[in-house]
Amino acid sequence: MVDETPMPKYRVTVDTGGTFSDFVFFNEDSGEIGITKVPSTPKEPFQAILAGVKELLDQGAAAGEISFFCHGTTVGTNALLEEKGAKTGLLVTQGFRGIYEVMEQTRGYGPATYDLFFEKPRLLAPPFYTEEIPERVDFRGNALKPIDVETAREAIRRLKKKDVQSVAVCFLFSFLNPDHELKIKDLFAEEFPQAGLSLSYEVLPQIREFYRMSTTVINAYIQPVMANYLGHLESRMRELGVTTPKLYIMQSNGGVSTFQGSSKKPVATVLSGPAGGVIASMGTCERVGINNIITFDMGGTSCDVALIHQGNPVITTQGKINLRPIALPMLDIHTVSAGGGTIARIDAVGGLQVGPDSAGADPGPVCYDRGGENITITDANMVIGVLDPDHFLGGRMKLNKSKAERLLEDKIAKPLKMDLLEAADGVLDIINVKMEEAIKAVSSQRGYDIRDFTLVAFGGGGPMHAGRMALDLGIPSVLIPLTPGVHSALGLLMSDVKHDYVRSKLVGLDDLELNEINPMFSRLIDQARADLHGEGFQDSEIKMEPYLDLRYAGQGYELTVPCPMPPLTKQDLALMRGRFDTMHEQNSGHKAETEPVELVSLRLISFGLVPQAKLSPGKVTGRTVEQATTGTRKIFFGKRHGLLDTQIYNRDVLELGHKISGPAIVEQLDTTTVIHPEQEATVDNYRNIIIREQK
Amino acid sequence: MSIVDPVTLQVIQARLAGIVQEMQNSLFRTGYSTIIRESQDASCAILNRQGEVVAQHVVLPLHMGAFPACAAGILKNYSAGEVHEGDAFITNHPYLGGSPHAPDMAVLSPIFFQGEWVGFAANLAHKSDIGGPVPGSCWSQAREIYQEGLHVPPIKYVTGYQTSKDIEAVLGANSRTPELVIGDLRGQVGAARLGEKRFQEMMERYGKETILSSFEQLFALTEAKVRAEIASWPDGVGEGERFVDSDGIDLDKPVRLHVRIEKKGKDLLFDFTGCADQTKGPANIRPTIVRAACCYLLTCLVDPALAINYGLAKVIDIKVRDGSVVNPHFPAPVNTYNPTVHALVESLLEASSQITPHKKVGDGCSSRSIIIGGRSNKTGKGYVQYEIFGGGSGGRSGKDGVSGTNVNQSNAKIAPIEIIESEFSTRLRRFELIPDSGGPGAFRGGLGFVREYEVLDNDARFSLRSTKHSVAPKGIDGGDDGQTGRCTLNPGQPDERVIPSRFSDHVLHPGEIFSLDTPGGGGLGDPQERDPQRVLNDVRHGYVTQEKAREAYRVAIDAQGNDFVLNESETRALRAQQL
Repeated sequence: MVDETPMPKYRVTVDTGGTFSDFVFFNEDSGEIGITKVPSTPKEPFQAILAGVKELLDQGAAAGEISFFCHGTTVGTNALLEEKGAKTGLLVTQGFRGIYEVMEQTRGYGPATYDLFFEKPRLLAPPFYTEEIPERVDFRGNALKPIDVETAREAIRRLKKKDVQSVAVCFLFSFLNPDHELKIKDLFAEEFPQAGLSLSYEVLPQIREFYRMSTTVINAYIQPVMANYLGHLESRMRELGVTTPKLYIMQSNGGVSTFQGSSKKPVATVLSGPAGGVIASMGTCERVGINNIITFDMGGTSCDVALIHQGNPVITTQGKINLRPIALPMLDIHTVSAGGGTIARIDAVGGLQVGPDSAGADPGPVCYDRGGENITITDANMVIGVLDPDHFLGGRMKLNKSKAERLLEDKIAKPLKMDLLEAADGVLDIINVKMEEAIKAVSSQRGYDIRDFTLVAFGGGGPMHAGRMALDLGIPSVLIPLTPGVHSALGLLMSDVKHDYVRSKLVGLDDLELNEINPMFSRLIDQARADLHGEGFQDSEIKMEPYLDLRYAGQGYELTVPCPMPPLTKQDLALMRGRFDTMHEQNSGHKAETEPVELVSLRLISFGLVPQAKLSPGKVTGRTVEQATTGTRKIFFGKRHGLLDTQIYNRDVLELGHKISGPAIVEQLDTTTVIHPEQEATVDNYRNIIIREQK
Repeated sequence: MSIVDPVTLQVIQARLAGIVQEMQNSLFRTGYSTIIRESQDASCAILNRQGEVVAQHVVLPLHMGAFPACAAGILKNYSAGEVHEGDAFITNHPYLGGSPHAPDMAVLSPIFFQGEWVGFAANLAHKSDIGGPVPGSCWSQAREIYQEGLHVPPIKYVTGYQTSKDIEAVLGANSRTPELVIGDLRGQVGAARLGEKRFQEMMERYGKETILSSFEQLFALTEAKVRAEIASWPDGVGEGERFVDSDGIDLDKPVRLHVRIEKKGKDLLFDFTGCADQTKGPANIRPTIVRAACCYLLTCLVDPALAINYGLAKVIDIKVRDGSVVNPHFPAPVNTYNPTVHALVESLLEASSQITPHKKVGDGCSSRSIIIGGRSNKTGKGYVQYEIFGGGSGGRSGKDGVSGTNVNQSNAKIAPIEIIESEFSTRLRRFELIPDSGGPGAFRGGLGFVREYEVLDNDARFSLRSTKHSVAPKGIDGGDDGQTGRCTLNPGQPDERVIPSRFSDHVLHPGEIFSLDTPGGGGLGDPQERDPQRVLNDVRHGYVTQEKAREAYRVAIDAQGNDFVLNESETRALRAQQL
């Protein structure tokens, strides 16, 4: 599809990171993209965004030509992480304050089990701002006790007097019968219309009260912050002359939402940044015909991995941010503390430990020469020769290699009685294994055969480590996208608007009444359609995907199984039963075809289709691969290969058809790609580098 | 034995951690019973051929002591020639295996590599019911283990990948919830097989010799780390003593737990000979569990992120007296072991605090479960509703206790109300923290909570396995005790009745109510040294009442509109009176 209005032609996307805000400018006429990085402005994040947009305008674009703007933001995430959200109230069913305060009742597993000084996360809606409302709904959705309107009204007035800014409402079984929560909405309109209001029925109408409540409270907590930010950003963009109504925010589920939608439901944006990288990987791979992907994003302090199977990213509803559950569907991104800044040291009993702590950006690795004394992954890469001290960030930053060598020798190699290069290589081995375990956690541990996948590596560190990890794991190919440093921003160009809807209904599949389920489904569909119409989408631009959450009767966790478009028939239910057995077998290694199956929730995903950006393939100039070489240096490729003379290539010169045999290094402004002696690389028509094992 | 280089060693350690994590994920995902899937009462481990723990993923730390004892039982009953690839053993026997009590069923599958037996993949998971007089199999009046359900000594359940239908038939016929027991057990075998497969892949990759040698080195690293920490403490002796409410039979007789820890150089001796004689009722624990409690203590003190393996167990030297509550003669009953272990851990923390420079912790709530069973009027099938509850944790040096949490070796999740009400025939009436239940102190104990239920089914058989209803969680260093727990049937009605903390098989009928208050944690330090601003904060949030603020903390808090304010002058006067 092509955008039909002729005038506007620039799509602008920006992903705000901790240090830089990454921009991609896409020209719809030429299909070309431009990228830039602007220093982030954490106190007023919109300043960096305006600066980036101005940069585009300075290049000669007119503000009116911006046809589309999409933003990956950490405003909601940071408000949550730094606990700088709104003063938040909570309304609960009378007698049930304990749900929010007891939380899961555990300390979590692993080391937390043994931590006598464990703390629960602070209550975002403290008891002083919590009110109990007389009402009760039972497990069938019947109102056992009607809501006491006058008591509720008094409670709302008390919260108003306490200057609460935002309120979460979560009553028991409201996902089956929302009447009481909706009554509260009416009362707020009468009594306290200026407060932000988040109903659990609207945020996440799903069974398991604490997880629904936690999600709703987080939404209430960050909602005023997000609404304020987006309001500000929009008005400043308008001042610059940007007129497009297509202003979007990336969500944790990998789809985008309008500014308006995200202002109401910001809890859906808390993993906005990493989601962009996953979507970019999908888009990048789709163009070259790859649909089984493991994404691998390695930055300074952490590494994010996710799995995409047959073009569909894996979704979880058991996410947590700082121990606080968010049960909304989000891309299942597995994070481990492993990045360029991760520290290696010898512990008190002489064992080599790598991570989890990081030297961060300041003072950073030893080789940055800013006072860092801890050996990091970046230092190890420097010592074995992968990083060039004179050409880091295209030569913008000089690195001190000899200092890294000296400290690594003293702190790691000598105590272990190892050779310097072997010690540095050992440090990299250990960090690689930790990241490999994360990759296994999302792939082989879930029943996927890793040999069917392509590893897409990005972020500053991904392309440096991916080759070796792929060899270790038996992943047959690695793809390094053209712009690994702004990959997340690129993903924002490729997303559709995506909304999730859920209604829980616990019932045996055999006892299920179609004339009860079908109307529930059609209500979801009507609501989804109305929401997308409200965001400016026509019916022709709307796509719906219905699902059923199913489990064997008595099991605890459900599988989300795609289902035919409602209304469902008896035959559909039989089909679903078979699909569920198959999926269960894939995920858990066994199925139980004679056991009864239960429905837990109905789900609907709605898409507002955004015309896809048509990125142009890379130009072919006929340059030879030799023209891309910039020299050689000695690099240590482990004990097996030792120090090898290694050819260095300039990424900017590489184009379709170029072939490189390992060992080799490809350098570009924001990263370095390592091709091992066992490997060879080719360049495809979108100028991605594909690394495979040599035959 | 070859020496494995430090890099490969760390790589193998990380791989082992990945394997046990994967086993655990598989177990939770495929669990049928609410106990496994919602409360997550299950653990996984890899053992070497001698049955020593190489790697583990622990939800409940006591399970760590159980694995080696279960393996020892198998090694005793079966010669090497009788163990083949594709076999799997089970046991839930506290004496012949290492299970804490009958509901905890262990599965151990021998791992073979190129035809050679090299280790075990193991897991342990709580079963909803394994027979005996009461639903849930934990009868508080049991006098011998024969009254605690069906006991399975270490036996072969799977032979050459063929599951024994006979054994499943016996287990099923002895359980009130046969589908859940067999379903969970098959899930356990699946998880063990997965561990076995991953372990074989690892051996394939790194070589058998390297892997087996690395085990010894990993043990040595853990042992060295623990001993180095111990060596840094001054030599000395510490003593600790705690009491369990009762054994369920002699209701007015608290059960004494006592430890004397002697620290000398790099060694620790845990002497439990001062513990009470074995009890008539099911408060006894086996020495394997005592060792596991010591492992828990050392992990807490040395490093919560310690790589836990046999190297830790090697450090622990215990002395227990035959016929005592921590080393009972067969067939003494053991089903409600956990309150005893809580008291034991608290006495260990008290004793160690006299030796180590570590920060201190007041007593917590211990743990408890409620069990309601019968035949459901919803489904017509047998059911067991089993829920596990914490309360408050003790005040800690520099920090208040945590409210509404499991403590020490207990760590089960709370089951969602919406799941409980959908699946079982009870309705919750209240679930909230109890004001003033946290022991006053400079650092206050955490609060316990109340769960109040209405019964909706006919002939619902109710049991309670709790403690600290008569013996309060102890405050330390001048802190006050936490509030005790309490369970009341039909509160406010003419037939209101407070029941003991161990209580079994009370039949309830539709409309009847029971209410459980869980204990708060003990305080740490003199309450009058608590910052008045923190007392004000507690009053605003409803954790402490104005009356308690005045009486225990000597802080005057005045109500003002919707809020509270600190009355500084009156507070000064109140606090001056005491000096």
